[in-house]
Amino acid sequence: MAGPAPARARSSFARRHHLFWYFRHAVLLAWSGFVLFPIFWMVLTSFKDAAEWVTWPPHWIPHDPTLHNYRQIFTFSQLGQDLTRQATEQVFNIWGALMDSLLICTVSSFVSLLLGTFLAYSVSRFGVGGKNFRYLILTIRMVPPIVVAIPILMYYAIMIPHTTEVLTGVRVSFYDTYSGLGLLYVATTLPFVIWMMLSFIDEVPYTLEHAARMMGAGRIHTLRRVVVPLVASGMVVTFLFIFILNWSEFLLALTLTHPNVTTLPVLLNKFQSAVEGRLYGPQAAIGTVITIPVVVLGILIQKHLVKGFSFGMIRK
Amino acid sequence: MAQIVLKDLVKKFGWITAVAGVNLRIHDGEFLIMVGPSGCGKTTTLNMISGLETPTSGEVVIGDTVVNDVDPGERGLGMVFQDLALFPHMTVFENIAFGLRVKRVAEEETRRRVRQVADVMRIGPLLEKRPSQCSGGEAQRVALARTIITNPAVFLMDEPLSSLDAKLRVDMRTELKHLHERLQATFVYVTHDQAEAMTMADRIVVMRGGHIQQVGEPLEIYRRPANQFVAGFFGTPTMNFLRGAVAKEGGRPLFRAQSLAQPLPAGSPLTGGGGEVVLGVRAEHVLVGEGSKRGQVTLTEPLGDETLVFFDFGGEAPLVAKVNPEMHLAPGDRIAFEFEESGFHLFDAATGERLN
Repeated sequence: MAGPAPARARSSFARRHHLFWYFRHAVLLAWSGFVLFPIFWMVLTSFKDAAEWVTWPPHWIPHDPTLHNYRQIFTFSQLGQDLTRQATEQVFNIWGALMDSLLICTVSSFVSLLLGTFLAYSVSRFGVGGKNFRYLILTIRMVPPIVVAIPILMYYAIMIPHTTEVLTGVRVSFYDTYSGLGLLYVATTLPFVIWMMLSFIDEVPYTLEHAARMMGAGRIHTLRRVVVPLVASGMVVTFLFIFILNWSEFLLALTLTHPNVTTLPVLLNKFQSAVEGRLYGPQAAIGTVITIPVVVLGILIQKHLVKGFSFGMIRK
Repeated sequence: MAQIVLKDLVKKFGWITAVAGVNLRIHDGEFLIMVGPSGCGKTTTLNMISGLETPTSGEVVIGDTVVNDVDPGERGLGMVFQDLALFPHMTVFENIAFGLRVKRVAEEETRRRVRQVADVMRIGPLLEKRPSQCSGGEAQRVALARTIITNPAVFLMDEPLSSLDAKLRVDMRTELKHLHERLQATFVYVTHDQAEAMTMADRIVVMRGGHIQQVGEPLEIYRRPANQFVAGFFGTPTMNFLRGAVAKEGGRPLFRAQSLAQPLPAGSPLTGGGGEVVLGVRAEHVLVGEGSKRGQVTLTEPLGDETLVFFDFGGEAPLVAKVNPEMHLAPGDRIAFEFEESGFHLFDAATGERLN
């Protein structure tokens, strides 16, 4: 009777293993449902008519699907005749904010990438900042943005204009300017760039640069021909990552701009003010539109993100 | 002229002294090999010659010029690295052409010279491949080709064969030696492998702890090691060392260690006042099957052309002897053995310096 016993043990183990598999997937499914529901609701609302935005019981599927919300946010006229029902005194389309967002995010991400890559290079090759610098870089991200938002507002709107006026007679303000917000975006994303680029640059053996130098190549030539080609894919990943960060940044943009510069997340928020009423439909449409590039980029760089965020500990 | 002179060369990293005052003259056209255990300062010395490290003090002179402040690329040297340092994103052709392109040699001329060098190094068919598609030996030849193409007067090599398997390494040794003969350039080669040093070098520099232990031709170093460290570092198996004292008995110096008494050649230095010496004897100078001394075999290692026999004789450690493979010995066998007098090396037990 000794024979069948182990077999039974094995089968019960397999059964338990099987149960665990179901359990785990059930938990994961429930969790994704919980996490993804707001996005589902947002996309749904963007296709609903005003009458369906807030109903009880909720309409799980739009009874009367419409593209009206999208037409509204993508219109080129300020107050289209067909849009009078939801017309307000505000400009209704997203073009201005879209351009502002694209401009600020692209330029500041480029500047940040350039500076951060050079910094990461000096940290990796020359030990700039000391042995623990690379771990300290990210501590700047531990400060909640709200803590710095108000002081920076003071700085931008009062101190800098006042000081420049006293010193030069010209009033220079960073408040509500592209450069003001862009500078902050560079500052907040720089730690991420250094952190990610460090792991990519560390993987390029220093002897490659030594070899190039022995053959007479100068520093710039070595960087251009040897280092940059080898970390180029890392630079693309880093750029996309910080671009997404800047693209979705809300708090600093809200505090430091208005009315000249408006980014998409800030525009989104404006549809909820008391004056304009709660225009959930266009809001959901904007939300959907600005989420799409983030999701696409996220899927594209997913594999590389793991590498970038593990300090290069995952090696080939 | 590609003579290299190192004057009181010192390199410190923080409080660690990697190279502690090296003086060396490397002759034009010489194949010089720096050898020593890891951390002995040989690679740091090489890097100071190349210019990749700046000396803390001292001078590097190439030809008649002090090159301490000259850029690596301006020193007229070629270097082959331990990991070969081939550019992974370039083809073999682009790797070899890199040096010429830096110097803005005309494209036509570059192509011609790359082809020529590729033919010499037998890597013609590889030119369009990436380094990752080359085998170990091929990558090695690509690295050499990349160095040769700029016609440097001096080749620096930092353990270039260490990534190869044993068989290939032996083949590449021969190839490097041929290359040296053909180019007539100065080769400065760093390795931790004493066999590599013995087989290829015109002269060997043995280093330890940042100091030069001995400079000499391979056989000179093998036959007359300057100290116990050098004696132990060169030769396989490691030289037998016996610790004991030398006193004059019956008109001749006599070495005594535990159960062993061994007369030494007349004129051997005596120890007095409780001082100790180390008697070194290489395995080939231990003659098994003759003489009056007795031992018991503990282990045999047949190598084919010869057999290593390890045996106890009543001392601290077993002795090892090289014997004819026809001599069939097994662990437990009792043997007679004798030392060949010409093979005695005497070292000071305290300082390790050679005495005889």
